[in-house]
Amino acid sequence: MSADQDRIHSIETEGLTRSFGRTEAVIDLTLAVPRGSIFAFLGPNGAGKTTTIKMLMNILRPSAGKATVFGVDSSRLGPEEFRQIGYVSENQDTIDWMTVEQLIAYCKPMYPTWDDALCGSLLRQFDLPPDQKIKNLSRGMRMKAMLLSSLAYRPRLLVLDEPFTGLDALVRDELVRGILELTQQEQWTVFISSHDVDELEGLADWIAVVNKGRLQLSESLASLQSRFRSVQVVVEGDEGLPPARPAEWMLPEKAGHTLRFVHSRYREGSEDQIRAMVPQSGRITAHPMSLRSIFVALARTYRISE
Amino acid sequence: MMLPFEMQFRAGIPVHQQVVYAVKKAIVSRQIQPGDSFPSVRQLSQELKINPNTAHKIVGTLINEGLLEVRPGIGTIVGKAPAATRIQRSMLLKQEAEHLVVEARNLALELEDVLDAIRKHWNHLGG
Repeated sequence: MSADQDRIHSIETEGLTRSFGRTEAVIDLTLAVPRGSIFAFLGPNGAGKTTTIKMLMNILRPSAGKATVFGVDSSRLGPEEFRQIGYVSENQDTIDWMTVEQLIAYCKPMYPTWDDALCGSLLRQFDLPPDQKIKNLSRGMRMKAMLLSSLAYRPRLLVLDEPFTGLDALVRDELVRGILELTQQEQWTVFISSHDVDELEGLADWIAVVNKGRLQLSESLASLQSRFRSVQVVVEGDEGLPPARPAEWMLPEKAGHTLRFVHSRYREGSEDQIRAMVPQSGRITAHPMSLRSIFVALARTYRISE
Repeated sequence: MMLPFEMQFRAGIPVHQQVVYAVKKAIVSRQIQPGDSFPSVRQLSQELKINPNTAHKIVGTLINEGLLEVRPGIGTIVGKAPAATRIQRSMLLKQEAEHLVVEARNLALELEDVLDAIRKHWNHLGG
């Protein structure tokens, strides 16, 4: 196929911006989604996640800037690209009156890469009733049906807009297993938006955080987890927080003889830095953090500095 | 396919670290034994519902620490805990022991209490 097989990034945006009247929904968004990653696009409701995704999927035109998918300008995405993209969104038009079986029969001819074996195994795995109409399905079943119809042709890129919202843990696990099926093939990238980081713990390995239309962070989980540490320092004496603190010490607080903070640039030598800042330091412990705890620290810091 | 070790994720701790620990615990308690085949990256990812890249990293860590071995044509098996890992194990022990002593002294426990607790766990794990 074309040279885009070797592309490092499945999605790239540059200064992507979209306004609705005077409201700026997405502002100057520049990010790159590495191929072979499960990319979490995180942010509170109304942060601009869905607007961004709609621009990526050529449903909305950007007001400024641009986005490319597989190297193709998103405003030029056509059938050839969409045959390799799976897109599932809550506010998508679905053909409600069809049964699950009819939906499959309807989708199959559109995709040359349709995999009957995968479709069958997902149908069983998702426990979907083939003869039920989509409109009569529960929210979870409906999401499973939509994911199935987007996975069965083994897309090279899967874009999911808030797939887990309002679903119980069991359904979430089923959906995750389905999504992970895709990661067995040669070419895959998964882009998932969510307002709830808990939904993506363990799943995402790239994290972007968007707030009020602006990108706050875009980084690999490995990089985040190597630099973030939850630090506790036992301090002899009654000194309060050191007055001048490095900006990389997030959310510092002191209770009794314990100084606690999140170090956002932890590295070798950070202990010496702490001892220099807090001369009365006793035992220092620095623990790695989960995605959730890093996200919470970031969210609290942004809110405080706003 | 069921995984040969128990895994219950806890909040706050990186997934990679939790799984590596769970595997070590299963080896120590002989839930998985030298020569046993170890789940593939794919199985780990599917069963734990974790990112395949993370699963890959977990297997890599365990291989590096000598706990798993790659057998071409067979897959990954549980290693025989070679001598080379003794240093690593004693380092691990030193860290863990320090941590335990600190915690115990914080709680004003006696050495005997700590040894009792250790003995209990030792027997419980079937060492």
